[in-house]
Amino acid sequence: MEQIVSKFSEVALDPCTYLTDIKEQKQKKIIGCFPMHVPEEIVHAANLLPVVIWRGNEPVTWGHSHVPPYDCGITRSFVDSAVKGDLHFMDGMVFHVRQCLQVGEFPYIMEKNVKPAYQKVLYLSPSYEGEVIKSFVIEDLEEFKKSLENFTGSKIKDESLNNSIDVYNKNRELLGKVYEIRRKKPEILKAKEMMQIVLACMLMPKEDSNKLLEELVLQMEAKTVAPQKDKVRVIPVGCLCQTLQYDILDLIESMGMIIPDDDFYVGSRYFANKVSTSGNPLEALANRYLTKTPLCPTKGVWDVDWGEEIIQKMKDNNAKGIISIIVKYCPPHTCYYPDFKSKMEENGVAEIMIQMEHEMISLESIKTRLQTFVELMGGV
Amino acid sequence: MSEIKYKVNRLKTTNEIRPLVDKHWAELRTAKERGEKVAWASGPTFIFPYAMGVKCHFMAGYAAYCGGIGAADEVLKVAGQTGDLPETCSYHRLHMGMAEAVKRKIPVNDQAILPIPDLMISGRFCTEMSHYAEGLHRRMNVPVTAVELPMAFEREDLPRVKKFVLRQFKENLIPTLERVFEKKFDYDNLSEIIRNLKEAALLRNQCWEFFKTKPASWTLWDYGVSIAPVFYLMGKPGSTEYYQRLLKELQERREKGIPALAPDGEKYRIYWDGWIPWAFLGKFMRKFTPSGALCICGRYPWEFFPHPERLNPENPVETFVDSFFDEDSPQCFSNKAPKGNVEFISELIEEYSIDGLVMFSSKSCRMWNLSHLDIIDTLNKRHGVPGVVIESDMIDSDMVSDSQIDTRLQALFETIDGRR
Repeated sequence: MEQIVSKFSEVALDPCTYLTDIKEQKQKKIIGCFPMHVPEEIVHAANLLPVVIWRGNEPVTWGHSHVPPYDCGITRSFVDSAVKGDLHFMDGMVFHVRQCLQVGEFPYIMEKNVKPAYQKVLYLSPSYEGEVIKSFVIEDLEEFKKSLENFTGSKIKDESLNNSIDVYNKNRELLGKVYEIRRKKPEILKAKEMMQIVLACMLMPKEDSNKLLEELVLQMEAKTVAPQKDKVRVIPVGCLCQTLQYDILDLIESMGMIIPDDDFYVGSRYFANKVSTSGNPLEALANRYLTKTPLCPTKGVWDVDWGEEIIQKMKDNNAKGIISIIVKYCPPHTCYYPDFKSKMEENGVAEIMIQMEHEMISLESIKTRLQTFVELMGGV
Repeated sequence: MSEIKYKVNRLKTTNEIRPLVDKHWAELRTAKERGEKVAWASGPTFIFPYAMGVKCHFMAGYAAYCGGIGAADEVLKVAGQTGDLPETCSYHRLHMGMAEAVKRKIPVNDQAILPIPDLMISGRFCTEMSHYAEGLHRRMNVPVTAVELPMAFEREDLPRVKKFVLRQFKENLIPTLERVFEKKFDYDNLSEIIRNLKEAALLRNQCWEFFKTKPASWTLWDYGVSIAPVFYLMGKPGSTEYYQRLLKELQERREKGIPALAPDGEKYRIYWDGWIPWAFLGKFMRKFTPSGALCICGRYPWEFFPHPERLNPENPVETFVDSFFDEDSPQCFSNKAPKGNVEFISELIEEYSIDGLVMFSSKSCRMWNLSHLDIIDTLNKRHGVPGVVIESDMIDSDMVSDSQIDTRLQALFETIDGRR
């Protein structure tokens, strides 16, 4: 099992090397899809390799000449990597510009400085009610499909799209199984390993990650771990679009807490909700996008309560507290957070908020706060 | 600092704005006392409740008003006390703070208080504009209806975006308004508002011409305070008359040779990009004036009906949508998305003989900030016009750093001098 986890970690810790090699190996063009809602299946069906864009490990340098310091970590990190040429293997980029304002930074900066062979902007509307909204989302996906067809010179048949949906659903199912086992045996994987597995699945060809996941599931099922009953179960929530610094996850665990589940994008949100395999595939993809749960604060949902959703998740996992992870300068999350916090208070749920930035933050102050938090929950 | 003692020649007509906007917000504030239902709106969607005779707030207009009357900081303080994080959009925080002040009976400036609405119209020009409506629904259980108003990043996307917006107005917004306010939508009244708007905006366009003269006859700040009559005061008594008087005063200035900056007009003609800093107009004026710099045009003011001659009151909903999304007048391309901005600002540089660019970058709202640094780079290479970014906020004084702004403006003026 360690070997498989280590393979996933290797990919997640150095995506550029991995993607340069895999491009050569598979002889496929790579399309970077900015998180969180670009339907990768359409790219996959065009016989291209969709890759979810990630927050890199390098400190921002050249990026400062293009984006301000008050943009979020992934925005600055991605621009920095792109203008430095680190993403040379990306033949194309796709941006859903109605997710948040910062995604709107990219199209012009990339077109001017990086000049990818293919670039596409998606306008996917928030999950508002009504036929007008749904038909616009479908139309947007049709435009996306057409633009990929123009890029590759080949038509994307429904059969290919259905096949891609199957491959992606399989990936969702397998990641779901990994999470299911982890819920029962949370000691089986460290939180950073779990995040690295999901991130690697966002980067690898799904066929390859599915094979690894199948093996991982078998080995996880077979493995026995000693339960650590003294650990306090907590659910981390938030961290939209990007990975958290792995040190913070390690810190949480070192403070006597254990993470049986999460509400991260590079986590359980990525594989939530399968795409329906009946009917028109683009409509099925639109339906998945328009699904309101798990709640995403970028999708304009006001009639589902994120706090209630998370309290239920906490109960399902027998957890005692919530750790909100807010990416500094993430407007959708910061706007929602006061109401989320109020909901936790109303329900007597222990909750703490940690803000993360791209640059390394003071772990010492986070450690002190986590120590207090775990003591308040009656832990170690 | 220049040896010439520059001074702004203030316009008299702009003094008339305050009573007009005070009256507007007072009528809204007291509407519930008269038993009227009230709506709140973001984006330009307020025109639809107006057509039904329903009093309606306008998100950015209210924030500008609070900034202008000096009430923003105290309302933002309430937002901070009730949980909002400081880097959240200051317009969002302002609304949350005001709603919390009403809910918890926290005393703030009376003029900043508004009635909690019967309907929130979330006109989502900016993706963040939807969050305050969602927040008010969660906190106050206010019903919400939403309209997605995407800016077009590519010109060829305009036709389908326009069709989408028109359908939302017709199929979602108008039926919801009819249901909530229990009356038929008044298309005739909408036509009348458009007719009045057209008249006022045509006059305003004549006023714009006075920015082109050298020296200029008025300033972007004068223009900033004159926005309301073609926006949230559209169709209201006094709007057209305001611009008639403004135009007359500008014509008199030209005849008498009175420039916006005494004694002999501006040394630097500046393009101003981004929001108008509503709470700090005086402060910014004082930063430019001593150096002889004059802000004379920008993207934000041009957002509001730059081509009123195209408005057709006979097709009021369609013409309103056209004014933002039509391919011939693509405000939601050239005025919003960076690719369109470059071409638009390029035209302004030539048309208004611009010497330098100041990009006002709001730390809490990125709507007008997108790709600022790359836009400066492109325009500098194309026109030889230098630019700087200054970091600030529209209304939150905690985000205004004087020395950073002063240093960057000084650098800009020196660069312009160096190239002359």
